[in-house]
Amino acid sequence: MYSDLFHALPDVFAWTNFAAVVIGVIAGIVVGAMPGLSATMAISVLVPFTFGLEPLVALGLMAGIYNGAMYGGAIPAVLLRIPGTPAAVATTFDGYPMAQKGEGGFALQVAVVSSSIGGIASAFALMLLAPPLSKVTLLFGPSEVFWVAVFGLASIIFLLGGNPVKGLISACFGVFVSVIGSDPIYGNDRFTFGQLEMLDGINIVILLVGLYALPPVIDLLETPLKTDGVNSSKLGTEPIWKALPRMNYWKTWLRGSLLGIWIGILPGAGGSMAAFMSYNEARRTSKHPEKWGEGEPEGVAAAEVANNADTASALIPALTLGIPGTAVAAVMLGGLLVHGLQPGPMLFRDNPDIVFGFMWQFLFGAILLVLLGGSLATNSFARLLNLPRPLLGSVIIVLMLIGVYSIHGRMFDVYLMLGFGAIGWVMDRLKFPLPPVVLGLILGGFAEENLRLALRIGRGDPMVLFQNTTSLILVALTVAVVVGPTLKKRFIDRREKA
Amino acid sequence: MLNIFKKTAIAGAMILSAGAALAEYPEKPIEVIVGYSAGGGTDVMARTAAPFIEKYLGDGASLVVKNMPGASGQIGVTEAANADPDGYTLGTFNLPGMMARTIDREAGYDRDSFTYLANVVNDPNVIVTSKASGLDTLDKLLEEAKANPLAITVGMSSLGGDDHFALIKLEKATDTEFTIVPFKGSAPARTALLGGHVAMGILNISEVAEFQDQLNVLGVATKERSPFSPDLPTFKEQGLDLVNGSMRGFIAPAGLPEDVQAKLIEAFSQLSDDQEFLDAMAATANPVEVVTGEEFKQLTSDLYDLADGVWQTTPWN
Repeated sequence: MYSDLFHALPDVFAWTNFAAVVIGVIAGIVVGAMPGLSATMAISVLVPFTFGLEPLVALGLMAGIYNGAMYGGAIPAVLLRIPGTPAAVATTFDGYPMAQKGEGGFALQVAVVSSSIGGIASAFALMLLAPPLSKVTLLFGPSEVFWVAVFGLASIIFLLGGNPVKGLISACFGVFVSVIGSDPIYGNDRFTFGQLEMLDGINIVILLVGLYALPPVIDLLETPLKTDGVNSSKLGTEPIWKALPRMNYWKTWLRGSLLGIWIGILPGAGGSMAAFMSYNEARRTSKHPEKWGEGEPEGVAAAEVANNADTASALIPALTLGIPGTAVAAVMLGGLLVHGLQPGPMLFRDNPDIVFGFMWQFLFGAILLVLLGGSLATNSFARLLNLPRPLLGSVIIVLMLIGVYSIHGRMFDVYLMLGFGAIGWVMDRLKFPLPPVVLGLILGGFAEENLRLALRIGRGDPMVLFQNTTSLILVALTVAVVVGPTLKKRFIDRREKA
Repeated sequence: MLNIFKKTAIAGAMILSAGAALAEYPEKPIEVIVGYSAGGGTDVMARTAAPFIEKYLGDGASLVVKNMPGASGQIGVTEAANADPDGYTLGTFNLPGMMARTIDREAGYDRDSFTYLANVVNDPNVIVTSKASGLDTLDKLLEEAKANPLAITVGMSSLGGDDHFALIKLEKATDTEFTIVPFKGSAPARTALLGGHVAMGILNISEVAEFQDQLNVLGVATKERSPFSPDLPTFKEQGLDLVNGSMRGFIAPAGLPEDVQAKLIEAFSQLSDDQEFLDAMAATANPVEVVTGEEFKQLTSDLYDLADGVWQTTPWN
């Protein structure tokens, strides 16, 4: 197998194949940076065009876009508190406060270096460990996947801090949105009001753009006369090699990479859950957790390393089993199919040069991210904030509308997005947290579908949910997440009394 | 007043389109609406077939694939059904799904909404069991199913699809009952089988071809052995009358001018002898079975009757 790996290398360096990766990374960063455009969309637009391309050119573009977009999403997340992709939601927690403190440039540099490290770790996992890791995926049947989703939801509600009741209400709203569309088992319409457009459920990008992008844009337009809140001369745009020594987040990077890889190989959850979990873990083990949320660079590192670490690893179940770990991996699978590459154990045997070449491209895409993203971040994007606010707001609105319209090419989605925008604005004012809504939508559907499948397998007996070790471990983790903070608080209270 | 305008406009359009049809068809690009996103099985079929249809239509004909994904193909096929029947809008068609949807929901079309051009792909069902189940022959499976009704869990992709109808045919033919576990798509169902989370699965032959070592493939639901996987025995050979599959083809709106229809069907019928086309389809795991015109219409009608019959006795939602 490892000889196949090196046999594939020369082809990767054919100039067209390499150029494809470079172009892909740049395009990915730009796409990720625009609210409303996501990697999923960019790759689905690309797939039809790849029919005429050489496989490694097509796949190189995709690998580049995927890597680039996962970092690109951090740019508006840091500068404007608008996550460019669903996976960048956790990046806003500390990235935006950093930008407000005038450290936006450094935040972007932390983001790009962390993204790159996560991407490299993930590419190695894909190259070296794909077959054994795909066995781990097989351990997760419907009841296990249900518990993963419950665990993810519990973490976001109880660990994120703030008010757990408000968090729970937000998550419930997200789960409700996940219920819209056709029933996952029987296919009946639920809350679609007879609209064919709603039969497939609410696309996550529509919700994300509405909830996250519209309220800040309204804020931007509300204060047209005020000059820039961020002093752009203090963006901290020193060259990236000078900033590097200030980044000492090895533990966070390592933990975030492992978490991202692990979540990537599980069906469904994807980058946003990886970023949240990594952020939570890094904060929990930090020496000064109180500084988190107020501009702690390590928070940006934790989120960004994890959301890139699931990119290549999400392809492990996609390539070996045909089940994509994320929405992007699902689209990429289509891109592979177009070139006659059928997922399955034979794939590695029948087309080793293409498959392993694709993996190399992932690795080089991740490395290129630092070079391309690093210079773009410091030189171009950070200067966005110099634009007059009304102009910036208007540009973002246009991008949002185009992005959302182009998902399916219909106005219906734009109206939906505006509706979510109104809800997001109200929630923002009432201090309801928005991340649980996003995860509620992503994980709610998974939880429901898998719970119902598990119960069918158990023929209605709920004990099927507790029948094996993997499930029980996940149940224990969920309980720890829900009860842990309360217990800890009591413990501290009692100690203070004594 | 407005009405008169409308009528004149429609009449005008009809004359124009008839005129266009009389001239050498095709005069402009032909749009093929695919109801799924790019890179899916149906999309790959359309894009693989397109250059060959262009070749057989001749005269520099060009086919443009347009993806209109959503509502399991409903949005795209409704659009194709309601398009102008001038031969410049075609659509892809999936069986039994497209017919089952006219039964289990209010669809914007029915079986008379189309001019049936050609079915191109027939992906027969297979019955597989997980290695962990120990049910490695059809006899063992049926024996267990008879001894313990509903005890065997069957992973498949969605209710009201070809997998589901295959299971119902099996249940009727052998007087057995199984517990259905409908996943969202076949890949998750197959993964649950590999992990031993369900005992049995109904999939399609193209979906198990790569996994034959890790699963027990008990038989193929075809009349004769599939050229796609000639080593796999049919159910017929094992004394079970079970023929079923998932089909994909091309339709146009009803009322296509006859000469256009004839020209299109002629082009599609040449696909089955084109080795280059067959190779391209084999590479993308699409077992080819070309059925054109009236025969395709009859096939659709039969599948509608099957779905309707199932719906009457055991509605799936």
